[in-house]
Amino acid sequence: MTKYLIKRVLHGLLSIVVVVAIVMIIIYSLMDRNLIFKNDNTYSHLKNNSKEIYKYSKWEEYGYIDFVTYADYLLMLTSSGEIDEETRSSVVGIGRTADKDSENVRKYVEQFSEYYISKGYTVKRIDAVMMNAKKVADGGQPQLFAYKNLSLLSRLWSYFSKIITIDNIHYAEEVKGERGITFTLFDPVYGGKKFSPAIIGNGTKHKYLLYFDSKFPYIHQNIITINLGTSYSVNQGIDVFETMTRSQGSYVKSLVTYPTGLQEESADDLHTATYVKGSLETSLVFKDRFMDDYTNVSTKKSSLSKVGFSFVIGILASLLAYFVGVPLGITMAKRKDKLLDKIGTIYIVFIIAVPTLAYIFLFKAIGGKLGLPTTFDMESSKKLMYVLPIVSLALPQIASLMKWIRRYMIDQMNLDYVKFARSGGLSEGEIFTKHILKNAAIPIVHGIPGTILFAMTGAIITERVYVVPGAGNLLIEAIGQYDNGVIVGVTLFYALLTVVSIILGDVLITMVDPRISFTSKDR
Amino acid sequence: MQSIDLNQFGLSEEELFSRVDHNELDSEKIMAPRYSYWNSVFRVFFRKKLNIALLSILALILAFAYIYPLFAEYDKFGNLLDASAKHLSPSAAIKKFGFSIHWILGTGAAGQSTFDAIWFGSRISISLAMVCGVINLTIGVIMGAIWGFSKKIDIVMMEVYNILANVPYILIVAVLVMILTSSFWTLVLAMTITGWLGIAYFIRTQVVIIRNREYNLASRCLGTPLLKIAMRNILPFMTSVIVTLAATEIPSYISMEVFLGFIGMGLSEMSLGRLIYEAESAMVTPGWEFEFWSPVVIASIITVVLYVVGQNLADASDPRTHM
Repeated sequence: MTKYLIKRVLHGLLSIVVVVAIVMIIIYSLMDRNLIFKNDNTYSHLKNNSKEIYKYSKWEEYGYIDFVTYADYLLMLTSSGEIDEETRSSVVGIGRTADKDSENVRKYVEQFSEYYISKGYTVKRIDAVMMNAKKVADGGQPQLFAYKNLSLLSRLWSYFSKIITIDNIHYAEEVKGERGITFTLFDPVYGGKKFSPAIIGNGTKHKYLLYFDSKFPYIHQNIITINLGTSYSVNQGIDVFETMTRSQGSYVKSLVTYPTGLQEESADDLHTATYVKGSLETSLVFKDRFMDDYTNVSTKKSSLSKVGFSFVIGILASLLAYFVGVPLGITMAKRKDKLLDKIGTIYIVFIIAVPTLAYIFLFKAIGGKLGLPTTFDMESSKKLMYVLPIVSLALPQIASLMKWIRRYMIDQMNLDYVKFARSGGLSEGEIFTKHILKNAAIPIVHGIPGTILFAMTGAIITERVYVVPGAGNLLIEAIGQYDNGVIVGVTLFYALLTVVSIILGDVLITMVDPRISFTSKDR
Repeated sequence: MQSIDLNQFGLSEEELFSRVDHNELDSEKIMAPRYSYWNSVFRVFFRKKLNIALLSILALILAFAYIYPLFAEYDKFGNLLDASAKHLSPSAAIKKFGFSIHWILGTGAAGQSTFDAIWFGSRISISLAMVCGVINLTIGVIMGAIWGFSKKIDIVMMEVYNILANVPYILIVAVLVMILTSSFWTLVLAMTITGWLGIAYFIRTQVVIIRNREYNLASRCLGTPLLKIAMRNILPFMTSVIVTLAATEIPSYISMEVFLGFIGMGLSEMSLGRLIYEAESAMVTPGWEFEFWSPVVIASIITVVLYVVGQNLADASDPRTHM
């Protein structure tokens, strides 16, 4: 069984890689790159050559190309010590056209071109745009840069190699004090007096590698982080995984003691501190509060995350659906062709045939008439606002459960073993609960892990109609804003859920039904 | 034939026998009752009064969607400048314009007739569903039959299915709409490019169930090509399954179109989905609800009628109901 499961998991992971590759081909090769500038005000205000540079740098941000300007190249040479600062500043300005370059500049321009052409880049030089003989037009400075389209393989490799990162003490470039990991029983965030074990790193990306706090699941770690891809427009610079799991809503302020001893009412969560190179020196605000470069902290917010909202609503809706749908389906099968069965069938037809949108609006209108809140408000603590989204999600699930349970039960009722049991003298009730129900439940059990896991992804229409701040709209939002990182990340997340839920479903039915086995040995 | 006076022989009418001569020609004919599959299907189908009623509703819908627009003059922006013509309830619209069929559902945001807009939209939505249905079912059924029948193809296709089923459908639609324009045929392409896979998978499962029956084995032994076995031996077995599929698929394309329209990725033409999308804000405005609910209700009626007619036709196409 274990061997079989490992095989299945590996197979699943392989198909996930292919799915991600297909999605990457779709969004990076098939889609027009210029579309990302459609709603970009900066782009439409820029002129001439600076517009061109902006275009290429944005493409690099969105992951289409690798892009290096001549100035960047010189900076790189300076930091590696090949040339000194003086040479750099003397050769950084290129001439208006190629033949107006000075001798020295020409040398470095040639070096730049040779270096990047040999690495497969395309080197492009745009001459200055002149207003008149002397004056350069707005944004018309001459530009020299190299770019390369990323290949699918290198893109896939760089994406998958970054998904799971393990923090190490050599992450930070410059650190105060010695690199290393210290273990303390008294977490300094709580003033260093309260007993609360923590592991603190110096030189790592995260300052707190392991800590306890009052939030579920109480123990948190930052050693292994998951990166599904960085967002550019939906949630700038933030990873997709964080976008989905970070709490939302208004700030929760509490008295925070900063490393310098300063106490302040703030929403900063010091446990999330990450390293930003040289940040301490850049602002007085940081200098007042922090002792080192671990200044980037996220804030505490009052509400659940996107996935949190979707999951709470989704899981409650599924529970409701199983508690209502399964008994109803059983009763329908028991009283086949009677009144209840007919009403149930009409309901099932209604749910299947009527567009989802139509009945969700119908539920909303009915709910509104009954006085239930029809829009979701993150800040309010009213539990009633959960009712309509949950019911709207549960009603179609109930219909589908009713349909399948009824179908499977009726199929089982006509089998020989039921007739045998009846001739053996078992009561109808016994046959129903002990034999038919058990057999009919097997295909239903297979779907349970999927129901639970996919509760996290949220429902597009329900969340839109009731304004739930959940994860359902993330993909559509990302597509609408051409946020490639988010599209790939969300696809990977969905594909992973599918693979895991099918495997878990298979495991579950082998546990429920001893006749089913996936290994040839047991058969 | 000459008439014989029965009383002459003392016989009553019941006791009369007439002689039938042996006819060489008649003995060559096989006299079994004529059986036609589709005749029986329709006999069973029309036995239910409900089906006749539903079919007439369907005919009415199709007439309104396809014939009515030929005669009605509909200009969405005809009343654009008339501020008092916008967002009218049916009674207010009839009061303003006088009674005519155009105004019985009130007016929309641009002062246009909701009734006309709905039928122009229905034409596009129903056509889309029909075209997608025909394409997806044809490709899906043929591919599914081959997929289920050949074990080699099965291995490859299962992989393809597992992978493509995981590519978000909305992404495919969005990208196609972006590359091409959001026209009718783009949406057809978007809905069919992977849409047939689900149908093919369903058919494959059905085929796997019946492919190993003896008559198929015999057919293979006699050297019938794979395609012919799939088309002649297996598909006729599954007529009712295919009709059931069509009954669920075609309304689902209308629902899909409405959904895509609602999230802003649908057609640029005024389909039902786009109509609902544009009227969404009217739903929460008191007094304007009518222009939102009318297209929603009509869309629901269309899908329900299509679905129920299809399901009943599927029931009738199962030979076991032909007794």
